[in-house]
Amino acid sequence: MDKYIVELEHVSKSFPGVLALNDVDFRLKSGEVLALLGENGAGKSTLVKILSGVYTKDSGTIKIYDQVVDNMNTKKAEELGIAIIHQELNLCAHLTVAQNIFLGREIIGYGMLSARKMNAEAKKILTSLNIDIDPEMIVGDMSVSKQQMVEIAKALSTNAKILIMDEPTSALTAKEIEDLFLIINKLKKEGCGIVYISHRLEELEHIVDRVTILRDGQYINSMNFKDTSLPEIISNMVGRDIKEKFPRVTCKRGKKILEVRKLNAGRMVRNINFDLYEGEIVGIAGLMGAGRTETTRAIFGVDPKASGEIILDGKAIKIEKPMDAISQGIVLVPEDRKKDGLCTKLSIRENIALPNLDIICKKAGIINSKIEKEMANNTVSDLKIKLPNVEVNAGSLSGGNQQKVVVGKWLRRKSRVVIFDEPTRGIDVAAKVEIYNLMNNLKQQGIGVLFVSSELPEILGISDRIIVMCDGKITGELNVEEATQDIILQYATSFDKKIDDNILHK
Amino acid sequence: MDKIGKQNRIKRILAVRGMGQVITVTIGLIILCIVFSIVNPIFFSGKNIANLLRQIAPILIIGIGQSYVLITGNIDLSIGSVIGMSCMISATMMTKGVNPWAAVFVTFICCLAAGVLNGELVSRCKLPPFIATLGTMTIARGIAQIVNNNYNTGSIGEAAKGFRNFFYYGKTAGIYNAIWITIVLWIVFNFLLSKTRTGRHIYAIGSNVDAARLSGVNVHSTTIKVYVVSAICACTVGLMTCATTGMGTMDAGNGYEMYAVAASVIGGVSTLGGQGILLGTVVGASIWGVLQNGLQFAGAPVAIRNITIGIIVVVSVLLDVVVRTGKHRKKAN
Repeated sequence: MDKYIVELEHVSKSFPGVLALNDVDFRLKSGEVLALLGENGAGKSTLVKILSGVYTKDSGTIKIYDQVVDNMNTKKAEELGIAIIHQELNLCAHLTVAQNIFLGREIIGYGMLSARKMNAEAKKILTSLNIDIDPEMIVGDMSVSKQQMVEIAKALSTNAKILIMDEPTSALTAKEIEDLFLIINKLKKEGCGIVYISHRLEELEHIVDRVTILRDGQYINSMNFKDTSLPEIISNMVGRDIKEKFPRVTCKRGKKILEVRKLNAGRMVRNINFDLYEGEIVGIAGLMGAGRTETTRAIFGVDPKASGEIILDGKAIKIEKPMDAISQGIVLVPEDRKKDGLCTKLSIRENIALPNLDIICKKAGIINSKIEKEMANNTVSDLKIKLPNVEVNAGSLSGGNQQKVVVGKWLRRKSRVVIFDEPTRGIDVAAKVEIYNLMNNLKQQGIGVLFVSSELPEILGISDRIIVMCDGKITGELNVEEATQDIILQYATSFDKKIDDNILHK
Repeated sequence: MDKIGKQNRIKRILAVRGMGQVITVTIGLIILCIVFSIVNPIFFSGKNIANLLRQIAPILIIGIGQSYVLITGNIDLSIGSVIGMSCMISATMMTKGVNPWAAVFVTFICCLAAGVLNGELVSRCKLPPFIATLGTMTIARGIAQIVNNNYNTGSIGEAAKGFRNFFYYGKTAGIYNAIWITIVLWIVFNFLLSKTRTGRHIYAIGSNVDAARLSGVNVHSTTIKVYVVSAICACTVGLMTCATTGMGTMDAGNGYEMYAVAASVIGGVSTLGGQGILLGTVVGASIWGVLQNGLQFAGAPVAIRNITIGIIVVVSVLLDVVVRTGKHRKKAN
């Protein structure tokens, strides 16, 4: 059990202008779960990519099972049993589970694909992991969590013994995380070594044996998880103590800004009623698929509304498309930054300018490049976005910085209501606190803040009032003083009993 | 300090999206010109240059239109047929004695309608642009054939002399009007694309249509605008063709939509959208024109010209891909 199966010594790696890894040591034993921790840009991804052969190291040695591996590449990594489960899933959405699992290694019988054999084989792997998925399901029809399970099954089907998981839980619900952890513990017992990368430190205690911490490309520390504490880990990660994880400012509740009345939009938004006041942050909690995102999208006019009224500052307003909402002063920071938030082929400057072109443009729609540049530079310095200059492509930034751009582009205009949908997903502790501060700042300015999040501690830490949704309906509303994780979860799982079970599972 | 400032300025120009490929293909263009002038010194004579520019003009104009559409991530296959339609409608009316400028106006409206139809089909009806414009392409060609009962028209006559001079033969300040028209269109559309709100929306849609919509971009109207620009460009080329030949030909502009794609793509416009600048389209269209003209001078038959141009399209895009992945690989190492 105590044998090291991966040993990286004095590994360095530089990219033009950045030293991504500086003399880093890294060790993994068989039968353990090692959390690789660090802020965004600390070098976790680079390290993992070197281990899995995506990048080649500049210097240092890699030893796998006591053997020095010199020319590591992805093929060799696979042969050595190293598999990586990416943050962004790498599955073919139009193919079935079995087809995905055997992609590139299809089983051939009589010169033809043997679907039967592959399905049976896939079923065997899935059952061994206690995953209840039909191998003939189309991957694109399944939930993200199920897809993740398929990804794990795929990795294990190649007899991987060294598993790397990059933010595996960021899209999962509490129940699904539990399932995942069961699988991880099972794999651990079977002698796999697992590298676990996550920003959700609260989860670590359930599975992690050791932690290795990186900061700014340097190796900081390795500790047995039992002998350390979360505050110690965090201060190691950021190099300073973060005093308040959830900074809270209290404001006087002012007048009513937004009223949503009897909003209906499809099955996931049913009869939604709520108010939003000046000087408060309203958190919307709920499980994955509770209809929170759909509600924000309906308010913002992305998806059509079936019925309902939206009243802003006492006046009923009509929102048919996002443009209407923006011009009335309601903005939405969307959930999925890659899909809905950023134009990755455009520069940071252009991305920040995009929703604000009405402010930037002179008469006749001509862009005033001076104002545009100023706006971009101000946003970058206000939000402490790390980048070489505002002309680089948005796609080239790290996740946390991309998220800051998505948030920042909406803060440049006078709004009445700002809706944040999962603004802290996949970003590090320090960046999270900066986003919280931004929300508090808006609250102090008397701007209404709606805040959707799947992380209960965050909802409890930041909101003044919490709305809980389940299955497209509001099932509870709480003041933060009376709210606990238990109560919220209770509301979040109060499904409508009259509904047919089949619909629920769909 | 001064040196750094200068370097920064050069860097900034190089950092303009798509500038890299524009520079690469410009070098290619220069090499082509040198080779052709060695093969045949007449290539660089004043008369041939004037000819060459008039050959480039129509390709550049439709290249502008196609670039607009490509940058939004769509494609316009109807360009060639709209040219034919424009040519036939204007010529037919002029042979029937309609005032040439009235004919131009009606033609313009018809082409505009084709553009709006394309835009509506793609953005409102959500048809794949390839299919939608394939339909319009066939319809427009049909209209080109039907307006004069399936015949090419006769001469548009003396009354249309002013029209012919305006669109092709006349000169202003010593330069052919066809070239002036191209320059004016390029300046206007380049300004629209690079300096205005609509232009920025075009890039945003091509880069990520969902993000653009959520940022308040009106995807529907912007899509219509790019197809209208493309139709205006095709209309102009159709009128030029009519002015050049002095008659209406039913298969005018046949295959031009692909020349337009070639000019755009050689110049660095991505067919996936979000990338490219109109300066590149100028170089792309010039390479196309120089090849046509130069190979003609060198005595190469049409077949050889076609093969060469085809190869150039593939190689120039391949070159860009290789350069880009090369950079990527260097980064990764």
